[in-house]
Amino acid sequence: MKLNTAAYYIREGLTNVKRNRAMTVASITSVTAALLILGLFLIIILNVDSIANQVESQLELKAFINDNYDATKVAKVGEEIKAISGVKSITFESKKDALNSFKKQLGDKSYLVNGLENDNPMPQSFIVKVTDANMMKQVSEEIKKIDGVTQVSYGQDVVDKLLGIIKIIRIVGLFVILILFIISVVIISNTIKLGVFARRREINIMKYIGATDWFIRWPFLVEGIVLGLVGSVLAIAILGFIYGYASDLVNNKLIIFTLLSAGVVIKQSLVYFLAMGSLIGAIGSGISIKRFLNV
Amino acid sequence: MIKFVGVSKKYKNDIIAVSNINFTIDNGEFVFLVGPSGAGKSTILKLLLREEIPTTGSIFVDKKDITKLKRKEVPYLRRNIGVVFQDFKLLPNKTVYENIAFALQIVEAEPKYIRRRVPMVLSLVGLSERANSYPQQLSGGEQQRVSIARAIVNEPSILVADEPTGNLDPDTSWEIVKLLSEINKRGTTVIMSTHAKDIVDSMKKRVIALEKGNIVRDEMRGVYGYEA
Repeated sequence: MKLNTAAYYIREGLTNVKRNRAMTVASITSVTAALLILGLFLIIILNVDSIANQVESQLELKAFINDNYDATKVAKVGEEIKAISGVKSITFESKKDALNSFKKQLGDKSYLVNGLENDNPMPQSFIVKVTDANMMKQVSEEIKKIDGVTQVSYGQDVVDKLLGIIKIIRIVGLFVILILFIISVVIISNTIKLGVFARRREINIMKYIGATDWFIRWPFLVEGIVLGLVGSVLAIAILGFIYGYASDLVNNKLIIFTLLSAGVVIKQSLVYFLAMGSLIGAIGSGISIKRFLNV
Repeated sequence: MIKFVGVSKKYKNDIIAVSNINFTIDNGEFVFLVGPSGAGKSTILKLLLREEIPTTGSIFVDKKDITKLKRKEVPYLRRNIGVVFQDFKLLPNKTVYENIAFALQIVEAEPKYIRRRVPMVLSLVGLSERANSYPQQLSGGEQQRVSIARAIVNEPSILVADEPTGNLDPDTSWEIVKLLSEINKRGTTVIMSTHAKDIVDSMKKRVIALEKGNIVRDEMRGVYGYEA
């Protein structure tokens, strides 16, 4: 493609965008709306993924020890846990350690546990790392049998549940994305069709004087891609803005997990958005010119 | 060279537009296509431009069977055949200059070449003064000159004119035919369908007469032969 021909395509495409002003606004708005909803699903998926990772990285057992056990008894329990096959390492967390780490989790709300030092309600425990995540259940059963272990907890349930939720969200999200995609394509295709219809005489003449199909098609493709891209840029700007506020708000309230920052979300979804926007535009215009090329 | 070999065209509604058409037109010829409305003149021109594909038979342009062209190849056939229509088919929102330059843009000619070539063709059709006018500001004859200029700006070897004087008064029609004849003298094959008896009779060129889809007459220095 020659440079001046490419310039011609872009110039003509932009002329079309300006010519159908009302329809241009309508289709950009609908692409933006569709991509906003699409982006919502993307953000949910990204966040649930990240939370699942956070939980998975904490994939360790916690064996709580009887509060009345003294250091020597606790050490003996520790020896017994270590002896179980599949245990990689154990770390002792004293009552004081437990309180401190809880304080840390609370962050600037740590005043909530002030004064508890003398009557510490936190249990002492062993944090047990296993060699393989699949052995969690087996190891936890073994540990439960040891005298002095009051309770064993591990994050497996949470992880399983989260993975299940992610799967459902992914399926629903994919379905919604597909529908929105089709709707956007139809809307853009209708907008372009108006332009093509207005220029059918011109297209007809172009065919007679030997223009190739692609020569006729390109300006309309440019128009469609511009509509799609503008729509997706708007969508991501709005989404980033709202999400920035929302995630700050949630992160301040939520203690256990943190939501991804707006910057990370936008960075991760930007390429999807731009690709989706231009694909919607290109397909939409491709559909609408097809019929007019048969001369 | 153009060669029709046993060409028939039957439309979907079972109307037979032309049947078993055979003729050869050599390079540089000037040929009138005459006959009553519906005799098949337009169909022959449409077949030549590959707007229609014959039901049977072959059509050769420069030894290539154009009935076998792929969709992709059709534009290149049309670049070699200039077309002039009865209703001019100019773009109303482009000036005379732009209308003609457009035909060169489509074949991706260099801008430098376009700037040189368009004024040349404008002067050939005698419209240098009107380069910046819009089609609706021109008379019918002038518009047809623009459309002729657009048809020949690519230097096609064949020029097809489908009733080019159909919308013009007799004097203007003569000017247009003289222009076509001038182009023909420069080596372009010209095929013109027409109802203009006077013109055909006084030009004394080859005449192919059609009736009900058949060639009824093909004379080297022919006349119109119908009551106008």
